[in-house]
Amino acid sequence: MMQLEEFLLRARLERHSLETWIAAGWLVPPQGEPAPMFSDVDLSRAQLIRDLREDFGVNDEGVSVILHLIDQLHGLRRGVRELLDDMHRARGAGAKQ
Amino acid sequence: MSEDPYAVLGVKREATQEEIRKAYRQLAKKLHPDLNPGDKQAEEKFKQVSAAYDILGDDEKRARFDRGEIDASGAERPRERYYRDFHGAGAQDHAYANSGGFADFAESDDILREMFARGGGQRQFRLRGQDVLYRLPVEFLEAVNGASKRITMPDGGSTLDVVIPAGTRDRQVLRLRGKGGPGLNGGPPGDALVEIEVAPHAFFTRDGDDIHLELPVTLPEAVLGGQLDVPTPTGPVRMTVPKGANTGRVLRLRGKGVRRGEKDSGDEYVTLKVVLPDEPDAELVDFAERWQAGKNQNPRRKLEA
Repeated sequence: MMQLEEFLLRARLERHSLETWIAAGWLVPPQGEPAPMFSDVDLSRAQLIRDLREDFGVNDEGVSVILHLIDQLHGLRRGVRELLDDMHRARGAGAKQ
Repeated sequence: MSEDPYAVLGVKREATQEEIRKAYRQLAKKLHPDLNPGDKQAEEKFKQVSAAYDILGDDEKRARFDRGEIDASGAERPRERYYRDFHGAGAQDHAYANSGGFADFAESDDILREMFARGGGQRQFRLRGQDVLYRLPVEFLEAVNGASKRITMPDGGSTLDVVIPAGTRDRQVLRLRGKGGPGLNGGPPGDALVEIEVAPHAFFTRDGDDIHLELPVTLPEAVLGGQLDVPTPTGPVRMTVPKGANTGRVLRLRGKGVRRGEKDSGDEYVTLKVVLPDEPDAELVDFAERWQAGKNQNPRRKLEA
């Protein structure tokens, strides 16, 4: 977890951009009292967004779409992984009987 | 080992900055680890491409590289973790996790619904047991007529009764519902899949639903015809052999083949084969010597070139 200044530095991001990104729903507003804290997930996501916009020439609408699809892809990958884990566990349990 | 950044980006040495930027974007879009969450090699390739672009994407660095003042090594940016790294096995839940890609499955499938029911408690869902495979050798007539067989499980104790339906084919797989491995957390058991291996028969052969048989007949039976008992899968039946029936003559016993469906059956095809006595006796030899028509016969005329 990191505070705002460290986050902006490591993400190579300006405060104004951060506010825009949060407003666009690309990043969730940081939580925490007294100082809001950012997580490593926020950081890696910010870097992905920067890659998309600066290196790949994706416009703002495109970033929203890509993030949405990537998050769904990870959800699907997680689902498949858990299903496989359970199947392997079941197979192990079956073999012992 | 560092490769030539021009080669990595696939551009010529005299490429314009715009061409280099285009080439980089093209590759980076394909190779970015976050756009390839399942491809471990993508990250390595992406690093090379990024490193190459670090040099060539910058006019000044590119000029120094071209003059040989810097080489391609050491240009790799130390990179923070990629976004995908927070979604791997054992990763914690976070605000960006999205299972929307499953939402429609989850509506109709209990397993997935339980899987994605978020919040509290150990995820535990019912899982159907494994299917278990067996191979069961059966006799030819058992497969044709149907039979009951008992399989002893690998554990040596329990047994499994298998009904072989009439007309079962070689390599056919019978599925016994619920006779497979036990389910998990109260899930239904799997199925037993029994592959039937049909042994060949001493004189019957099978072609689809038809049975074929080569039937040896004596010379008098062939010449004079008559009633013969012919084996079929369900027991011998009486068959009329016409006068003068020769070797190779095929007679059909309708409905004496393999059962298909409730009432219908294939046919048995009987191919006659005239067989002389093992040791011809004097009478036969005498007859053959005297028999002029036989001597004039030329059964090989079609073989003459």
